[in-house]
Amino acid sequence: MTSVSAALERSKSWVWSRRLRIIILVIILALTAPWPATGQALSPCCVILAAGLSSIANSLKTIASSLSAILGVDKEMLQFEQTVVWPTSAITQAQALVGSQQGIFARIQALIHIPVNSATQPNPQQLEATLLSRNASQIPQTSANYTALYGPVPTTTDASPQVRDLIDMTDAAAQGAMKRAIQIDALSDLEIQAAGQINQSIQTAAPGSAPIIEAQADAWLVRANAYTQAATADLMRLRAIDLANSSADIKMGATNTTNLRRQLMNLLQHN
Amino acid sequence: MHCLLYAVLFSAFAWVVLIVNGRRRVFALTLAGVMVLMLVVIPPQAKTQAQGGIIQAIQAVLKVLNSMILPVVNSIHGTRSANSNFYQTTVWPVPSINQSNSLVLQMIGQYRNLMSGILHINLRSATLPAPQSMESLIRDHQVNNFGGLTQSFNSTYRTIPTPTDANQADRDMSDFDDALTLDSLKTLKAADSATDLELQAADSIESAAGQAVPGSTPFLTATATSSSIRSQALTQKMLAAELRQEAARIAHQNGLRKRGAMFTTQLRGTIMNLSQHN
Repeated sequence: MTSVSAALERSKSWVWSRRLRIIILVIILALTAPWPATGQALSPCCVILAAGLSSIANSLKTIASSLSAILGVDKEMLQFEQTVVWPTSAITQAQALVGSQQGIFARIQALIHIPVNSATQPNPQQLEATLLSRNASQIPQTSANYTALYGPVPTTTDASPQVRDLIDMTDAAAQGAMKRAIQIDALSDLEIQAAGQINQSIQTAAPGSAPIIEAQADAWLVRANAYTQAATADLMRLRAIDLANSSADIKMGATNTTNLRRQLMNLLQHN
Repeated sequence: MHCLLYAVLFSAFAWVVLIVNGRRRVFALTLAGVMVLMLVVIPPQAKTQAQGGIIQAIQAVLKVLNSMILPVVNSIHGTRSANSNFYQTTVWPVPSINQSNSLVLQMIGQYRNLMSGILHINLRSATLPAPQSMESLIRDHQVNNFGGLTQSFNSTYRTIPTPTDANQADRDMSDFDDALTLDSLKTLKAADSATDLELQAADSIESAAGQAVPGSTPFLTATATSSSIRSQALTQKMLAAELRQEAARIAHQNGLRKRGAMFTTQLRGTIMNLSQHN
């Protein structure tokens, strides 16, 4: 007991003798110790961060406002396109119209396939059947059927070379026109078939794809015009040959008259 | 970690300060200890650098937002607005669309009945019963009375000669001429009927154009083009009939020429025979 009190007494005396040093150490501890944070609001870093974030938020608000305006424009545009440019009801209505056109086309197709053959005699019947066949593979038979009906070119003993040439050329033009008629009939059948397909595809097309089909239809129309021109060309050839024949008749008439006059002169001289 | 280091250093420093002897030593040691502790606890440069880094980062973000993103967004807004305005005022202006629709309707009113009236003016001109009947049949746009047309044609133009009245070549040519004439007349009846349907199709397309919008117009133009192809095909059918008819006409003339040559040869032979006999 006495030893403990003696030790305490010694410690007190040791502390008291170093009291100045202890006071300085306490002060240093107070000044240099890493105390816990005193509160974020008071930290300069936090103040700077808060100010920066506030600026960023303001900028983002401006951007959001601009984006909202863009959205508004987009919505307005969408509504305009849906109600003015491409309203579904109008598109459906147009497709329905195309469907009704298909019915009209079917009736036209039926009309042009009604048989019109009228010949009663065998040879005319055969040529008529070939001409109305609308079948391009029957074109080679035309010449034989034509010759059976109108006869061949006269032999060299039956006609002069000039007459034979004229007859042959006229036959060629007539047969060519008949063959062209078969060709054009076959082509027009295919055109009608293609037009039907095009019309069917329009029914299922979208507004964006319809112009593609339209372009194809335009191409077919150009082609159809070309075929019409080919047929018109043959018609013109026929009429040209006809005109040339009229002219040839005058020429041959003149030659024959001259020959006749000469022969009459000879006869008179002999008598 | 930072606090532990501080506690260790401060304990060592306090122990040394308390046990060392001499005032000057204590003072020097205290100064050194304070300096070390200050260095350990408060790195002032780092603090300043950190603050500077945050400010710079915020400024960089703000710079990106204000000088790069915001102008782009504003520019997009401007472009979209201009685009929308362009479509609504230049490409598809509603007044112009309405005006076009009105024009179509106005032209329908102006022309459709007028042209239909002109097309349906009666062109019949025959005066005698048989030609009247035939004329009526060839202009009636019907395809269910071809038999009647043939009868009427025979009444007007008569039938081909009997075998006792003409040779077979003449009968054949006459039959073929009549056949192609009738073929053409029948084709024309069918073509007239098809023309009526084409006009019907044209009317319905035009009526639809009166209510069309820019988005539905391609359907109408495509179906109109498709109708044009059919129309061309019908024209070609008529041209083919005309070709056959014209070909038969010059073939007929040529046939007569051939027979003329044949008769001339026969006549020449007969005259030669006669002159030899005399």
